[in-house]
Formats: sequence, C-alpha cells, structure tokens
Amino acid sequence: MSAQRIQHLGLRTFGWLLLAMVLVIALFPPYFMAITAFHPPSLSFSRTPTLFSTDLSLRAFSELFSKYPYLTWMSNTAMVSVASTIFSVTVATLAAYSLSRLRYPGRNALSSAVFFVYLFPSTLLFIPMFIVLNSLHMLDWLPALVAVYLTFSVPFSIWLLKAYFLTIPRELEDAALVDGATRWQSLIFIVMPLATPGIAVACIYSFTLAWNEYLYAFTLLSDQSRFTLATGLTKLIFGDVFLWGMIMAGGVLMSAPLLILYFVAQRYIVAGLSAGAVKG
Amino acid sequence: MQALAPAWRARHTVSRDEATFGYTLLLPAATLIFILVGVPFLRALWLSFHRKLLGSEDAPWIGLQNYATLLEDVVFWQAVKNTFVFTIGSIGTKLAIGLVIALILNEALPLRGLWRSIVMLPYAMPTLVSVLVWKWMYNDVAGVLDYLALQTKLADHPILWLGDPAVAMPAVIAVNVWRGFPFFVITILAGLQTVPQELYDAAKVDGAGVWPRFSQVTLPGILPVVAVTTLFSAILTFNDFSIIWILTQGGPGNATQVLSTLTYRISIPGLELGKGVAVSVLMLPIMVGLIVLLNRFISRREELA
Repeated sequence: MSAQRIQHLGLRTFGWLLLAMVLVIALFPPYFMAITAFHPPSLSFSRTPTLFSTDLSLRAFSELFSKYPYLTWMSNTAMVSVASTIFSVTVATLAAYSLSRLRYPGRNALSSAVFFVYLFPSTLLFIPMFIVLNSLHMLDWLPALVAVYLTFSVPFSIWLLKAYFLTIPRELEDAALVDGATRWQSLIFIVMPLATPGIAVACIYSFTLAWNEYLYAFTLLSDQSRFTLATGLTKLIFGDVFLWGMIMAGGVLMSAPLLILYFVAQRYIVAGLSAGAVKG
Repeated sequence: MQALAPAWRARHTVSRDEATFGYTLLLPAATLIFILVGVPFLRALWLSFHRKLLGSEDAPWIGLQNYATLLEDVVFWQAVKNTFVFTIGSIGTKLAIGLVIALILNEALPLRGLWRSIVMLPYAMPTLVSVLVWKWMYNDVAGVLDYLALQTKLADHPILWLGDPAVAMPAVIAVNVWRGFPFFVITILAGLQTVPQELYDAAKVDGAGVWPRFSQVTLPGILPVVAVTTLFSAILTFNDFSIIWILTQGGPGNATQVLSTLTYRISIPGLELGKGVAVSVLMLPIMVGLIVLLNRFISRREELA
C-alpha cells in the first residue's frame, strides 16, 4: 500500500469515529428527555439516573395535565404562532416581491434596512415594549404578543422570500405583462404559484420562531392562563421542587409538532437554511 | 395606445407605474416595522437618558448618568468580557465541528441521509426544550452527566456543572454549541456542493494530496459561505438570552453574566428600566458593525450571482 492510501484510510477511520461521536452527542439529550418523560416520575428522584428502562408509564404526562394548564399553554402557543405566521408571511410576500423585482429609488437602502431590522436585538426592544403594553393595559393580551412577534417574523420572512423570488425567471412575468396582464394579475397568477415552496419555507420558519420565542413571552405575560409553552415550561424549573419527569414530558410535547414538521418538510427546511448563506 | 407614444415616454410611464406599485406593496410591511421596531427603538434611546423606574410614572432626564454608572460598574465589564468569551467560544467550536462534520458528510457514505437527519436533530428541537434537557443533565443530584463522568472514571468527584464558576461558562457554551452546530453543517454542506468537481479532478491529476486539495480547492470555495454563516451565528449568539438565563441566570456570582442577561436583571428584577436599556444600547455599536459586515458580504455575493 502506498503512503497516500494509508493516509487516506487513516483519515476515513478517523472521520467515521468523529461522526459516530457527534451522532451520539446529538442523539443523547433527546433520548434522555424521552426516557425521563416516559418512565414513572418517582424514578427521577432516585440517586442514580435512569439511562434505560422498560418500565414505561404515562404518569408524568397525566400529572402535568392535572397540575398545570398545559393544554391551554399549548393552544395559546399555537394560536400566537399561527396568527403571527399568517400576518407576517402575507405582508412579507408583498414586500419581498417589491424589493426583489421592482425598480424604484431607495430600493437597496430599504432592503438593507429590512436585513438590519431582522437582526435587531430583542434585548433592546423588550423594555420599551413592556412599558408601552403596560401603559395600554395590554400585558397578558395575546394579540399584543402576536404584534410583538411580527418584529422578527416580518423582516425574516421578507429576507428569506426575497432570495426566493430572485430565483424565479423574470421572463415569465414579462411575457404576462406583454400579453396585457396587470402587475397585480402577474403577481397573483404567475409569481405566487411559482413561489409556493419559498412561501412554505417562510411559514415554517415564522411558525418555529414564534413557537420557540422566550424573552418577549417571559416579560410580557404574567398570568398563568396566558402563558405560552416556553414560559409555562420554564416556570416549572424556577419552583422549589424540580419536577423533571413533568418538565421532560412537557418538553416532548412541545418538541413533537416541530419535529413532525421538520421530518415532513426536511428538504424545504434545509433549502431555507442554506438560502441565506449560499444563494445570498 | 402606448405603442404609439414615443419610446422614451412609454419607458417613463412604465417605470413610474413600477415605482408606485413597488411602494404600495412595501407599505404594509414598512408601516408595521416602523410602528413595532422604529418607535420602540427611539423610545429605548430616550429611556436610556432618563431615570425610569419600573412602576413609577415620572422619568426625569439625567443625561448620560445611566451610561456613566455602567461604565464604572465592574459587573458591567465582567458581562462585556463574558459576552465575548461566550460568543467567540461558541462560534469557534461550532465552526470547527460544523466544518469537520460537513466534510465527512460530503463524502459518499452509506446511509448518509440518515446521518444528516440525526445531525439536524438538535436544530429541529425547540431551543427552550434543549436548554431544559441540558439543565436536567447538568443537575447536581442524580444528574446524568455526573453519573457518566464518575462511572467512566473521567472524574473522581461530582462536578458542579452550573454551580462552579470555572465550569459554568464552558457548560453554557456547550449547550449553545450543541444547539447551533447543525446550522454550520448544513450551510457548509450546501457550500461544498457548489465547489466544481473539475477543480478536484484537476488537483488530483496534478497529484495533490488530501491537505493541498482541501486548502487550495475546498477552502477557498466554501470561504464565502463560512464567513456568512459565522457572522450570522455571531450576531445571534451575541444576543442570546434564553440559554444563559434558564441555565444559570448569569451565575454563579456573575460567572456567566452576559450583556443580555444583565439588561434583564437590571431592568425587571432591578426595576431600573432606563439603566437596563442603556446596557443594550452599549451593545449596539458591535451589533451594527457585525450586521453591516454581513450585509456587505451578502450583497457582494448577490452581485456576483
């Protein structure tokens, strides 16, 4: 064997080992969450952690439902996420089309502004939001939270959709315009159908961002019946007793919709992730 | 009718029409962003020059006093240092792991699709849930990581992952890395696919080994993607609140206090809204610098495309 082949073989083995290690690290926390959630809650008080068990039970889930308004939190989260997704993607589709297709003075500056707003830190905005909503008596009012979520989902969706619109051939639209279609008609009947995959990605991301959001929900909601999952679940760890079985059961339920969404739409999600970095 | 008009006039009306349409479509988003981001931002700047306490109505103008007290506060400077340690430690590790795993997954491996899906798992889980699971794994009573470390003799005494000031920072970085490295893997993988195969073939013909092929073909090919991904991740990590807040609330002592948790701590439990905002305002120059840099990278690539 030549030196180069040995080097190559060594590199391959090393690569496999590294990959195996990273896969184990990636899998272990979700596995451990599931094991904790599905075994009898008494086990999470024992001195040695349970790494494997066939003694499965749904007790943690039933305790969670009986002691906390978990289903209310889940429906609050779902409503806020769906509402902010519908709003932001609708508004963003129009804006992204405008910024990617139409020529007018100030377009590039506006484009940069959108990008800037997307990355604008929520740590700077949550205090004025808190003050304004407090003075309007709108804390704990979920529609206000939907509006607050638009601060990140609108610019993010615009930015993502803009990259997508750029991939749709301009000629199709020009042809429609030449044939006498108005701009609205060509947007709705020509561009939108072609942009459906991009719009789907924007929906998935807006939904996920809202579903996961913590800082705003944590500062703007204080009434337990208005909590989202993120705030409700974290409240459980700041109590006196750590109810890990219940917390992990709640975690399983909070992850489930996103994991299902992710496995169903994996291809689109990956495309969306790389759209920013690769396509620009 | 239009066809009969002089060409310059037709072009003129078309572009007028285009501009009106463009502004109209932009209007709803622009209005929302102005009301929901622009106004609160101006309000935040205003607050940082006032002594505004939570629950009190009046907010007297105090000029730069909020900033002055912060700049004399050791905790603030510790938070600045911690923010940099957290950001640089996190993105450095994410980049290293992401690059290596992307290179491995780019090879023709059996079951590659499955491995990719598993690698994506941490990214698909809600951040908050991952943080809670890690908090449970780091637990000092019956925590699984202590148990594993003791069983495998990697440690001879239980480690206080989140309670030991020397360990807490690496521990919170680990959670950020765990959650964020798949983003690097996926974007770098996508970048690797854009490197032309001919370049590899040519390098092979020239007898280039593994390292020269990597450093002279692969690396220059993926560098733009790596730069954009790293900047992106740096901006988000720099502002991260939930991971540190839920794991340590900035403790023990101020060992993991970063600027975002300090903002919260001063303004809500500490009631000093004006001073809390000032912390965030002081973060702005770095944020703006990173965003401008990223924006420049992306638009340059758009022009090339």
